[in-house]
Amino acid sequence: MAALSEWESKLALGDVPRPRERLTATAAEAVAFARTLGGPVVAKASGPVHKTERGGVRTRLGPEGLASVWEELAALGDGRVLVAEQVEADYELIVGGVRDPQFGPVVSVGLGGVAAELLRDVTFLLAPPRPGELELALAELRCAPLLRGWRGAPPADRAELTRIVAAVSRLLEEDEEVVEVDCNPVMVRGGRPLVVDALVVRR
Amino acid sequence: MSALEAVFRPGSVAVYGASRHPAKLGHVLLRNVLTGGFEGRVVAVNPSREEVLGRRSVDRLGEPVDLALISVPARAVPAAVEDAARAGCRAAIVLSSGFGETGPEGKWVEERMRGLARAAGMRLVGPNCMGVVSRLPGGWFNGSYFWRLPGAAGPVSLVSQSGAFGGMFFAEARRRGLGVARFLSVGNSADVELTEVLEWLADDPATGVVGVFAEGFRDGRRFVAAAERCTARKPVVVLKAGKQAAGARAAASHTGSLAGSHGAARAAFRRAGVIEAVDSDHFFDLLSALAASTVPAGPSLAVLTISGGPGVLAADAAERLGLRLPPPSEATRARIRELAPPFAAGGNPVDLTPQCPPAGFPAAVRAVFEDPAYDGVVVIDCGLDVAELGRGVAEAAAATGKPVTAFVLEAPRVEEALRAAGIPLLPSPERAVAAYRARVAVAPRPDREAG
Repeated sequence: MAALSEWESKLALGDVPRPRERLTATAAEAVAFARTLGGPVVAKASGPVHKTERGGVRTRLGPEGLASVWEELAALGDGRVLVAEQVEADYELIVGGVRDPQFGPVVSVGLGGVAAELLRDVTFLLAPPRPGELELALAELRCAPLLRGWRGAPPADRAELTRIVAAVSRLLEEDEEVVEVDCNPVMVRGGRPLVVDALVVRR
Repeated sequence: MSALEAVFRPGSVAVYGASRHPAKLGHVLLRNVLTGGFEGRVVAVNPSREEVLGRRSVDRLGEPVDLALISVPARAVPAAVEDAARAGCRAAIVLSSGFGETGPEGKWVEERMRGLARAAGMRLVGPNCMGVVSRLPGGWFNGSYFWRLPGAAGPVSLVSQSGAFGGMFFAEARRRGLGVARFLSVGNSADVELTEVLEWLADDPATGVVGVFAEGFRDGRRFVAAAERCTARKPVVVLKAGKQAAGARAAASHTGSLAGSHGAARAAFRRAGVIEAVDSDHFFDLLSALAASTVPAGPSLAVLTISGGPGVLAADAAERLGLRLPPPSEATRARIRELAPPFAAGGNPVDLTPQCPPAGFPAAVRAVFEDPAYDGVVVIDCGLDVAELGRGVAEAAAATGKPVTAFVLEAPRVEEALRAAGIPLLPSPERAVAAYRARVAVAPRPDREAG
């Protein structure tokens, strides 16, 4: 089993809503990109698995802070650093997929973040999902009211969510070697879901 | 005649292993075939050619029958399969065990028997199974080891990967007065497997409701396609055992560890439109409710009761299961005020109270049934054995055609009236509501393709 890096995983997913981000090869490139974003950024080591546990993720950095950690992060991974706009999430989802030994490719949507494994509020769909099926599956979630717009918040953008689910599904269908896919977290801000981190595991 | 036609509706049967000794399973099998009510020709096959149960046996079949039932020691099974295949049987059920379930060597023998059968145009059910039970015009065809059959013929059919679960099924059917059409235990599924049986049951006019007991699916997508085709015509209820089994499998991703083994199965059941039972009680409750009627029910429910607390339990269950409990209309409330005591509750649960004059029950019950606010009714009666109440429910159900389930405790006359009206009786208020909910689940869904 081989895990693709975050950047490779995102490229494999193709056209899904993501934060503005760039894989940077030098500190100067990173800082210049961060200035164009005009706000705090996240810097992530490129390549290593469990990058968070290994100290490879730094959040809420300004351009100077980014410059000071760039070399350290680059050394943790493949010599490059992924720089992305900092997203403040209203809540987090997890969208993923696995290849089931009996039913073949399935995709999943559920509550993400630290509560994902605790609450296990996840629903599955056979891939590719049929029109209308995602809506039925989402209605089964305990967090369904959150997705419909909790306490006056805007509802989660179904078209965007559908695009993410479709991308995961397509990856499993088109490449037999892909066994697991995680878009985790998918951060939802003002109803708009963004794939903040991604992992594709190949056989 | 297709192979499964031969399994469920044979015109002639051979029993391999027919023995004189009542303790032998082969003896039980032959006796079951002879005494169940099967009207076709029966041939006993036994190498010693002894007389068994008053009939001569032959040491080899020689001429074709539709179905061969094989109950001989494992080592003698391949020869029996070969004999049946050579004679030109359409299908054989191997009830004997000692094959794939024992290890790779047994698995290899299974493969060989399947090859042998298929080469001769014969299909194989089993091995390691409990056999077939099927309702034919003349009575039961009992090609199984079970000597106690369901009491009544009816619309429910079961295909099971567990033989022992068949025993639970027949016991529940007798206890509940549930009518049965077909039962097949597929055992190790060396050749014929669950999905193929489901495909046949979908087309079987005698089958109105299909129960499936499964531990695993050999080809999950083919099962989904077959189940989807079936649910377009008749409901399918699945009890899946082993939900936790693969939950602990190693996974690199969060999704992988969250999936377990049951995430995909649930996705499959949703797409196929099958109803999944959470446990065996629920499974039999669902079959009972759907055997009464498969007309889809709406989600708007009246809990009609004379028993406060149990009625509230039913209402709680309804809310938990996503059903709606609107209050009765003003007209219905006015009618109830005329007929029942002033303290009768005009909300939902609609509590007519035990003090309601017996003569008032039929009209009060009728008013609730006829209220356009309700798609259906759950009746809760703890201990009030008033014939008028039972009659009122039976008449109102027949007149309005609205779906009903009931929980009746120690009120034999009410119970009798409801049973005679074909209203499913469940063992608790909550289970009565869950059984009603099953009827809502068979309603057409947007993801369902026309079959």
